[in-house]
Amino acid sequence: MDWDQFDLNPRTVAALKKADIKSVKEILNLSGADLQRLMKLSSADIQCLLKTVSLTLRRNSMVTALQLYQDNDNLTSQRQKLSLGCSVLDNLLKGGIPLVGITELAGESSAGKTQISLQLCLCVQYPYKYGGLESGAVYICTEDAFPSKRLQQLIGQQHKLRADVPAEIIQKIKFGNSIFVEHAADLDTFHKCITTRLSLLLARGMVRLVVIDSIAALFRCEFGASESVMKARYLQTFGAQLHSLSTRFRTPIMCINQVTDAVSELEAAQCSCRVVGNRVVPALGITWANQLLMRLMASRISLPGQASGVASHCTGSVRTLRVVFAPHLPPSSCYYTVQLEGVKGIK
Amino acid sequence: MQREVGSLPLAPALRARLAAAGFQTAQELLETGPCGLSKEIGISKEEALEALQVVRQECHGDAARTAGGSGATRKFTALELLEEEQAQGFIITFCSALDNILGGGVQLTKITEVCGAPGVGKTQLCMQLAVDVQIPECFGGVAGEAVFIDTEGSFMVDRVVDIAAACVQHCQLIAEAQQEEDHLKALETFSLESILSHIYYFRCRDYIELLAQVYLLPEFLSEHSRVRLVVIDGIAFPFRHDFEDLSLRTRLLNGLAQQLIMVANDHKAAVVLTNQMTTRIGQSQSTLVPALGESWGHAATVRVIFHWDNSQRLATLYKSPSQKEATIPYHITPHGFRDVQPPAVTQKAEGTEMNPRKRPRREEEEKQQQFQS
Repeated sequence: MDWDQFDLNPRTVAALKKADIKSVKEILNLSGADLQRLMKLSSADIQCLLKTVSLTLRRNSMVTALQLYQDNDNLTSQRQKLSLGCSVLDNLLKGGIPLVGITELAGESSAGKTQISLQLCLCVQYPYKYGGLESGAVYICTEDAFPSKRLQQLIGQQHKLRADVPAEIIQKIKFGNSIFVEHAADLDTFHKCITTRLSLLLARGMVRLVVIDSIAALFRCEFGASESVMKARYLQTFGAQLHSLSTRFRTPIMCINQVTDAVSELEAAQCSCRVVGNRVVPALGITWANQLLMRLMASRISLPGQASGVASHCTGSVRTLRVVFAPHLPPSSCYYTVQLEGVKGIK
Repeated sequence: MQREVGSLPLAPALRARLAAAGFQTAQELLETGPCGLSKEIGISKEEALEALQVVRQECHGDAARTAGGSGATRKFTALELLEEEQAQGFIITFCSALDNILGGGVQLTKITEVCGAPGVGKTQLCMQLAVDVQIPECFGGVAGEAVFIDTEGSFMVDRVVDIAAACVQHCQLIAEAQQEEDHLKALETFSLESILSHIYYFRCRDYIELLAQVYLLPEFLSEHSRVRLVVIDGIAFPFRHDFEDLSLRTRLLNGLAQQLIMVANDHKAAVVLTNQMTTRIGQSQSTLVPALGESWGHAATVRVIFHWDNSQRLATLYKSPSQKEATIPYHITPHGFRDVQPPAVTQKAEGTEMNPRKRPRREEEEKQQQFQS
């Protein structure tokens, strides 16, 4: 660490070099008294050092909420979101998936989670004007093989799903080329994948969406009931790494999660799944839920009292997409079906 | 200046020599000067200089104390403290039940911690408070500004806009009903843009950035002297991973708490922190407890825990020096943090609780109930 670039007293710089302090992190980790002892400087000098180091680290970091609100730049605006490719679903989410943070999509098997993720992988490749991010996607499979046949079907039908986009633009995009598929069946492979492959792809700007299908599969077999502390630590580490990648590269991370049965009323209440009669909760517990920005739940059960009119003309395959929690959305839901061209919401 | 030599903080051997040489008060020492002193008692000039420096410091300290000047040691009577505390402002939350159990709202100069499971409304409360701190004094607010330190990235400005617009509308209704001069004047400067421009937002990506930001807070608050609220949304998030050495974490958290207490006191600001919940595995069952450990529980003065009971959100006052433990229900509406309506009125609303956007008519009644006392 080149201490000369900081605006410090030469005596302080000499003391830093002599005490072999190599990073800002070390300075902030030590207490004031420890620093005084190590560097043999007075407390006023140490205060000055801490202030200078903090200022350099946090220079220009303040924005007012008004500036955030008025920011319309594609690269930095909070209003920029990743569209799902369907206006009904986008309305539910007030624009789409937020670009910074981990979004979870939980649900029973065959609720449509993989379908929605595949659709997102195609949506991200459209221009900003049509709700995309003009970049590719990484799809990390942890249990099943990647559904490539279904992907080809969806690519073929994009013109039907995205009627709002001119045909020449759709034809120009080479959808298959920008989807990178990774397989990671155990924790170590997953860890390597996130820390090396993913950061490389993100740094080069080749992808701006990460889909993990599914996060629960990594943890289900390897940890017994007594290893919950270890499991929690892995979950927190992965959550923090994904969060940090998402923040650094402004890339949404979509994690697919499975569900388990709620053992007690208390558990069902804790995860805020409040639909009467809904006895399933997303897997991985509160440790994982703490890492999330937004949680969505996909299910095949329609909400009571409102389904009769809707279900009559879409036999058998009506699903519900529900917002369980999000900082900017009220708890709400909408219906959708899975058709040949993709996932479409029902008004 | 008339302090006896025996009471000064000098080495015993030195004191004995001074006594033997006939020095009785600090004044005499200072008058003699270092050269004379070294000759009289037979010590080196450096030692004499050091001793005189100590004496001088002691005398200065005494003078400051008797004059009641500023500094670390000021005397107060309990009556003065009581009067100061009662004059202290509160930041209302717009949920009168919560304000009541807190004793009026979120108190200035104290640290309040809000804990809860994800999705229960901690960030919503923080956003509400960042707007409410700016309510002008004639409407019952503290007319302050807010600092929002975000570690999780959950600050969505569009949501703050909704909350701020609802607050401005609420104040406009009060002004229309009461038709007072100062109300209308205050409303001229209390608009959506002014509210947003007085929320200072910092994004901290890890605990190092958070520590650095808190080191810079006192200076920032001195420059922006109208700030009355500091929110740290997600104190737990940066500290719950990346720490092999938990004693380091405890020490850093304690240091952070000390700094925040100083900031709260020196600048008359309320500090609000949000914390996560973690599972504590007991012998027969597991319970949810606030994260960051037992020692962190001492950092905050007031602790509120948000939790669910079936589909109703509840707030429990868990720790407070002056209020008793209580639990109240609350609601998150499109306008922000609010009370739950009494049962008679909500008959019609129960069915539409899932979609709160469909309740235009009840908003008027809600507003009537939220008048500041």
